[in-house]
Amino acid sequence: MAAEERRRVAVLGAGLIGIDLAGKITRSSKLELALVAGRRRDSLGLRRAAEMGLPTTAGGVRAVVEAGAFDVVFDATNADSHAEHWAALRPTGTTLIDLTPTGLGTVTVPGLEGHRSAAHRHLNLVSCGGQASIPVLHAIAQRCTPTYIEVVSTGASASAGPATRLNLDQYIATTSAAIRTFTGAREVKVMVNISPARPAPPFRVAMTVLADNFRPAPVRTSIAAAAEAVRAYVPGFKVASLAVDPGRIQVAVEVTPSGRHLPHHAGSVDIINAAAVLLAEQSAAASR
Amino acid sequence: MKMKGTTPVNSTPNDPRPSVLIHDPTLRDGHHAVGHRLDAGQLRAYATAANAARVPVVEVGHGNGLGASSLQIGRALLDDATMLTTVREALTSSKMGVFMAPGWGTSEDLTAAVDLGADVVRIAAHCTEADVTERHLGTARALGAEAQGVLLMSHMASPERLAEQCALMAKYGAQAVGIMDSAGHYLPGDVIERVQAIASAVDVPVIFHGHNNLGLAVANSLAAVEAGASVIDATARGFGAGAGNTQLEALVAVLDRRGFDTGIGLREVLSAADAAADHLMKAPPSIDSIAVAGGLAGVFSGFKCPVLEAARAEGVDAIDLFLALGERQIVAGQEDLIGDVARQLKAGSR
Repeated sequence: MAAEERRRVAVLGAGLIGIDLAGKITRSSKLELALVAGRRRDSLGLRRAAEMGLPTTAGGVRAVVEAGAFDVVFDATNADSHAEHWAALRPTGTTLIDLTPTGLGTVTVPGLEGHRSAAHRHLNLVSCGGQASIPVLHAIAQRCTPTYIEVVSTGASASAGPATRLNLDQYIATTSAAIRTFTGAREVKVMVNISPARPAPPFRVAMTVLADNFRPAPVRTSIAAAAEAVRAYVPGFKVASLAVDPGRIQVAVEVTPSGRHLPHHAGSVDIINAAAVLLAEQSAAASR
Repeated sequence: MKMKGTTPVNSTPNDPRPSVLIHDPTLRDGHHAVGHRLDAGQLRAYATAANAARVPVVEVGHGNGLGASSLQIGRALLDDATMLTTVREALTSSKMGVFMAPGWGTSEDLTAAVDLGADVVRIAAHCTEADVTERHLGTARALGAEAQGVLLMSHMASPERLAEQCALMAKYGAQAVGIMDSAGHYLPGDVIERVQAIASAVDVPVIFHGHNNLGLAVANSLAAVEAGASVIDATARGFGAGAGNTQLEALVAVLDRRGFDTGIGLREVLSAADAAADHLMKAPPSIDSIAVAGGLAGVFSGFKCPVLEAARAEGVDAIDLFLALGERQIVAGQEDLIGDVARQLKAGSR
């Protein structure tokens, strides 16, 4: 594909998530990264982006608005700033893909809502734990009626940046709400651990579903199929453990980034950014 | 007023001795020993006895604090609101304390707890993760509660790192900061080094919370006081996770002998401890083989019950399982890994 046919995109936020996202976009044949916007000129993230040869600015959302029309802007800042960013970017006609856990935009998980999401200009990616659990939980909910779902995410200390740490309440609220939306379960409990262990553990999401009257074999088949579908865009996604007992399904998934761009413990960053890039590519395809 | 080291924090006008504030999490940490299943009658009986003994702070809740009742960690018999309401009614002079770790509980849980009369709010984070407490320490202060910050699994970080993390929590608004020996791993020298480092880094009282896996909880707590800590956690009969906590009635006696004022009468605290023995437990916590292995391996004391269950279910040795969890540096909240590690052990031994 010729470069001029690529969709012009910008990344807002130059933290752990923003910088990996910028790298993933440069490896996409369908997207052209025209700006990485941070807030501090001397931040490690902006320096890294500049080293990658990318256009950078320390002017934040204002600089993105002034830089002209983007097909897609990714918000990789923090939940508290996101509403303001949407207000500033909405009049520009761009599609905003929100990686912070505000839950303001249309809650989106690739493969589940991706085909319909092109109609929306404001998409929210829930959370890394949501991106890892919802495909599996949605698949389970096709085979039974969950009465209670519990999701526990564990990420390495080094994989959680300052915004993630400040936003744990929003992470829990947004992830719980999205799980309810995609499964119909009335009661959902989400918990988060940030582990100080060294060496750092892989990103892991443990799920427990309580439900009556289901047949184990189709549940297992659906979980395997859901994991396979996620692996299409996150190759390091795997089911680490699975137990299907009467009344209770327990699944744990782990995400280990493939390739040399992220450390092995940064699976949380890998999965939400892979989802973001895939959605931007799909929105590019849909808008043609 | 700035307070530092052993400067009295709650000295009474008549008692010139340096004072130590006893914080009693019997009805929170003790929940780990009984699968989080204390009922309202049990909570009321002990809270009434502790109040009568003038224990300054009585902490209550699920073993892992507000919002932590779950399949992962264990479902509490009572919800947070019922526990807090029950204990609040029993306390006329003691303050009511709650514990919350961001990621397990949320600001919503915290707000509800303060509405129900929590006076002292402990915000917890794993040893190197103090920045997750910023929002909730702020919330606790804004709600008008006394806000404290504690570091869990503190043996996993160096004294310097703990001091830096405690200084962060003080900056976020914590009115006391300190460390929990969640695995019961410390020797007195370890405690002294850490408490001194923290006391020289902050201007607020320093907290120490011990566990008795290696039989040193009371000795470690005394060492903490002598090194400058002035808020010490202790539970009746040591009722708590694993081998139990620092034993309240023994600590009160020890501190009295050593010339510190706790404001707690010995006869009254012995009665409270007897009430705990009668109402809360079949037997007081003991240092069994699992506890020693867990303390040495540095594994969270609260894992004892789930480890015993997983070891039984998979037919593996519980001590082997504890040591394997220690190697992986599993922290509180990662209960989902216990079954996996047990199955790996089983597969490896075939």
